[in-house]
Amino acid sequence: MPRSFRNTLLVLVPLVIIAALAPSFYANQLLLFNVIVFLALAQGVNIIYGFTGYLPFGYVGFFGAGAYGFALAVMHLHAGPIAAMAVGAATSIVFGLVLTPLLRLSGPYFAIANLAAALAISEIVSNPALESITKGPYGVSLSGIFAPTFSYSVAVAVLAFATGCVLYLRYSRFGLALQAVRDDPISAAMAGINVVWARTVAWLLSALIAGLIGANFAWYVSVFYPDNVFSPDFSIFAIVFALFGGVATVLGPILGVVLLYGLYNVIGISTPQYFQLIYGLLIMVLVLFLPNGLASLLRRWGIHVV
Amino acid sequence: MLEYSILAGLLFGLYFCLVGLGLNLIFGVMRIVNLAHGDFVMLGALGACGLFGAYAINPIAAAVACLILFIIIGFPLYYLLVPRLLKSADPEMLSIILFFGLSQVIESLTTIVAGPTERSIPGNALGEHPVTILHQTFPSAWVVSAVASGVAVLLVFIYLYHTRIGRLTRAVMVHRDEALATGIDVGRVSGLAFGIGLGLAAVAGCFAPFMLGGITPASGVELTIQSFTVIIVGSLGSPLGTVLGGLIYGVSLMLMQTYFSSWAGLLPYLLLIAILLVRPSGLLGRKVRHA
Amino acid sequence: MLRKVTSYLIAGSLLLFSALAAAASAPSEIKIGTLYASSGPFAAISMPVHLGLKLWVDQENAKGGVMVKPYGKRIPVKLVAYDDQSNTATAATLYNQLITQDKVNLLVADSGSVLTSMAVPIAREHKMLLLDQTGTGGTFFTPDNKYIALMSDPVSTIWPKYIADFLTKEGPKLGIKRIALIYATNDFTGTQANAVRKFIQDSHAPVKIVYDKGVPTKTSNYTVLLNNIKAAKPDAVIQMGYPGNDIAFLRNLHDSGTHFKWLFAIYPGLETEHMEKTVGIDGLKYVYTYTPSSVVQYHAESGMSLPEFHKAWDKAYPNSKVSFGFNAVAGYTTGLVIQNALAATKSLDQLDLRDAVFGLSGKLKTIDGTFALDKNGAQIGEITPLGQLVPDGKGSLKFTVVYPSDVATGKPVYPAPAK
Repeated sequence: MPRSFRNTLLVLVPLVIIAALAPSFYANQLLLFNVIVFLALAQGVNIIYGFTGYLPFGYVGFFGAGAYGFALAVMHLHAGPIAAMAVGAATSIVFGLVLTPLLRLSGPYFAIANLAAALAISEIVSNPALESITKGPYGVSLSGIFAPTFSYSVAVAVLAFATGCVLYLRYSRFGLALQAVRDDPISAAMAGINVVWARTVAWLLSALIAGLIGANFAWYVSVFYPDNVFSPDFSIFAIVFALFGGVATVLGPILGVVLLYGLYNVIGISTPQYFQLIYGLLIMVLVLFLPNGLASLLRRWGIHVV
Repeated sequence: MLEYSILAGLLFGLYFCLVGLGLNLIFGVMRIVNLAHGDFVMLGALGACGLFGAYAINPIAAAVACLILFIIIGFPLYYLLVPRLLKSADPEMLSIILFFGLSQVIESLTTIVAGPTERSIPGNALGEHPVTILHQTFPSAWVVSAVASGVAVLLVFIYLYHTRIGRLTRAVMVHRDEALATGIDVGRVSGLAFGIGLGLAAVAGCFAPFMLGGITPASGVELTIQSFTVIIVGSLGSPLGTVLGGLIYGVSLMLMQTYFSSWAGLLPYLLLIAILLVRPSGLLGRKVRHA
Repeated sequence: MLRKVTSYLIAGSLLLFSALAAAASAPSEIKIGTLYASSGPFAAISMPVHLGLKLWVDQENAKGGVMVKPYGKRIPVKLVAYDDQSNTATAATLYNQLITQDKVNLLVADSGSVLTSMAVPIAREHKMLLLDQTGTGGTFFTPDNKYIALMSDPVSTIWPKYIADFLTKEGPKLGIKRIALIYATNDFTGTQANAVRKFIQDSHAPVKIVYDKGVPTKTSNYTVLLNNIKAAKPDAVIQMGYPGNDIAFLRNLHDSGTHFKWLFAIYPGLETEHMEKTVGIDGLKYVYTYTPSSVVQYHAESGMSLPEFHKAWDKAYPNSKVSFGFNAVAGYTTGLVIQNALAATKSLDQLDLRDAVFGLSGKLKTIDGTFALDKNGAQIGEITPLGQLVPDGKGSLKFTVVYPSDVATGKPVYPAPAK
């Protein structure tokens, strides 16, 4: 059978099965939910950084946009959770469209501008002048749609979608085109690739993923402040997990999340005082000694990484 | 109210110019995004608070001591971190993450050593009486900080334009590889620039307790973002650009506080995005790569 | 006759067995689960609360444990505490961990509304009573949620009542007509600002709010704002912010030479020692603030008195980098509530514990004042009176309680003398 189909089965199916069944083995469902959130976010970062070369330092902007889109739909349109998730995803895509001009910028300028955009939307949402719409700094409380088991299953579906997107990019012409654009946009344009179009599609796709999982997060926790859903930690962790595992692969971000976020929770529960220190040192060592992630290490040992 | 806001903005802006100056130097010379910049400012601030509290050392003396200390620290730190970074596939992007890691390390070590509570220095350490300028009264600390900024800008200008090593630094800023090809010891020049950049950050930190109130180990993050706003609005590589960026930031912030107070926090981000979209090379223009 | 003896024997042995079973099923330890933030923006308010609770735990364990009524004996306390580092997603996961994995008997929230907020639906869903230490967000306490009780701070929607009462009742007699209100836009201080505004407007007193502005919580520079407030010529100024805001506001005020006749700020009262160190005694003179319990001479019927507590604190945490103040008292108060609830509860079932905690309302008097809950679990007791910091003639400051009159110890100094 074609390699892409085989790899899909090898990676996607076990992932979904494990994610779906895990709550029966480990009671802290919220931790599992957070793992799924980071799996999805890391794949989203993978799409925009790994395949397209833009570092989304403000990725949490889409996550928060999705969360608030969901909240607004529930509070003002009295929508059911699935419809509200669609609204959340749409909000995130709109935000992505608004920020498309940023794609003109290169490297660190894009990263900083993206960070500024995420912080800007966080400020706007939490401003008391908008209290009647977003509840400003006083926080959102969506009682009545709280449904942990159902929202968890939907999260597994979102994870499947995100992983599926990356699988598609890994084995398709479009994915190759993106990587060509990332490596050398001028040659890629000369080879006939529509550079602007390719980048925009990748950008909006990664925005969609973050928006979906953001809306799902809002549904799962149902009580949050702007700080909770616009926390820069989401962007940073997603980027570090993706980098650690290795971008432009499917397994890389998964490995990164499982290993590092797992480590985060283990240390967090046993020796939290030095936690930030250990994580900071780990990040520095990662960048200095293994900048292409674990996947590069595995490849060096001859293992093909999906 | 308007004149006061503008004057205060100019003074505050000059201070922010000092905060951003070091970052400008580092980014200009090495194209490295030092996300730990605000944390070095914070270290300078806590150092000054500590020195004042323990030995009653005047903040200005502390500033000079910090400058020298951080230049000495910066040089080996550069060699530890940057050469490996520059060998990798995407140094600019990876520098973001590397220095973010450094910022976490600094913040956590400082929290472990000094604790999370706010620290400050009483205002009269820099002058007993408020100063009157054009019929408006300002704390004397503001005027002293503004003067110190002016001195620092002048010193950087002299360094870059009137010393031999400064000329070499400017050569590296323009094109690193060509400078290397002409025999310049790029590593040493960069290392020194890195050290000076950190030193300037620490000096700005010594005045931070007066300009910004209480300092905690977590203060670094916000300062980093504000510094980026200042240098990007101005333009990279030119100290005069940072002055302009600082003044614009300061004045607009104070005007926002007066007329749209609850939106004042939005300002640095909007300025940053606006400049990057409309005139990415900054107001004093210097070429910037487009994607 | 035989039947009677048999039935007595059976009843007696049943009783014996159940007594033995009850004693045998007494847990070997009482697990109290909580979170704290050792780093990040909430560390400064979280660590003192945590250390206060810890002090209570250590003291009870020194006595052999806490008295638990259903088992009639003291059982050692185990404090299971995780660090959430001011990260809300981490906090949510950890709260869940405490409930589902550690299976704690009592769940205590981290400090502040933001780090408490996500615990509210989690506790409700798992049907565990949430002991909310200092999270005063009004939206936490709703009729459809039985599983929450606020321990220490009064709920934000009523806390500023005495400020408004003073300004509207005593103010006009002193000549106060124009009021300026400046606040940081977050759940804690924003809610208080809304409350004080509403109390003032509803009173129909001859006072007017001439300046009313919200500023971002991360505002660290008030010089221009102070100038704008001065331009509105207020007789009284109310500043609502977190410690960082208060420090910056008071320093900028002192350094700029501006002077207000009447000024209120929250933290000069709640964290006096800390403010004296960062703002300086000079900058705090004649400032009005919330008077902490140390000055109002609440008779502590349960637990230590404030001097005893301060001494125990200094002994347990020498050279502490964590400041002693209102938050430390809050953590200790949580411990006292737990102690008194366990001494009165019918069982360790969560709803019985809830009844025990609510049963203390109006009766428990600690160094934090009188514990009183409304029917939704919001703290409506422990309201801090309005006080003023005045020079004591020996180079430091003391509190004069100025309102309400039944606890007042002196008259307010108005207008505040210029320096």
